[in-house]
Amino acid sequence: MVANMSEATRSDGGPADALAAVVALRRLADQLENTAVEQAMRSGWSWPDVAEALGVTRQAVHKKHAKRLAAAGVALRRR
Amino acid sequence: MAFDKYLKMILDRAAHEATADGATTVEAEHLLLAMAEQSETDVGRFLAGLGLGHVALRTALDRESEQALNSVGVSLDAAAQRRKPDSSSLAGQLGNSVRHALERGLDGLHGAPRPGHLLLGVLQAEVGRVPRALALAGIDRAALIGQVRHALLG
Repeated sequence: MVANMSEATRSDGGPADALAAVVALRRLADQLENTAVEQAMRSGWSWPDVAEALGVTRQAVHKKHAKRLAAAGVALRRR
Repeated sequence: MAFDKYLKMILDRAAHEATADGATTVEAEHLLLAMAEQSETDVGRFLAGLGLGHVALRTALDRESEQALNSVGVSLDAAAQRRKPDSSSLAGQLGNSVRHALERGLDGLHGAPRPGHLLLGVLQAEVGRVPRALALAGIDRAALIGQVRHALLG
């Protein structure tokens, strides 16, 4: 519970703004990743190359994006 | 409408809202957008009557994102970041803000839950995107909660 609830939604560069910025940056990073991975796969990148560029395992990137990209009609290379 | 049917409808719709947002989890703001989007329901009509329809809420949430990012020096057109969700890859996992909203809205009820209780649970959050977006839109959240109790749960 926030001690002073008016602080919880106040937009003055305090903790509420800083915490909201963290959430917004995470969401922005997810949006950028979705777009970047789709661009890479449409350009013929392999799953291992995309995974290495993102600093994650190829299993992780495949699990996160393969279904979405297939649904979007992206021709996916074998892992 | 029976509450379980309403909840399922809102959760399904909220998954589309989350996916359009680029979010990996469904959060409380996506429930609120979904409730507003269902304009033929009592809750949807109530929100629209207060000027809190889907477009107005989406605009308020975009402002919240832009303002939060501006506070750390990032400039963004939030609306331009949204994408058209495809139904085969919707965000499916419920975030903690949804669990908290359900707990706040439903825990301790003596009677059967109603759609208004879900809205109440979302609006009663003291922190997070929903109260920040409503504050930025100039909405008196305490008064709004009172109106929900009176109009939908009275």
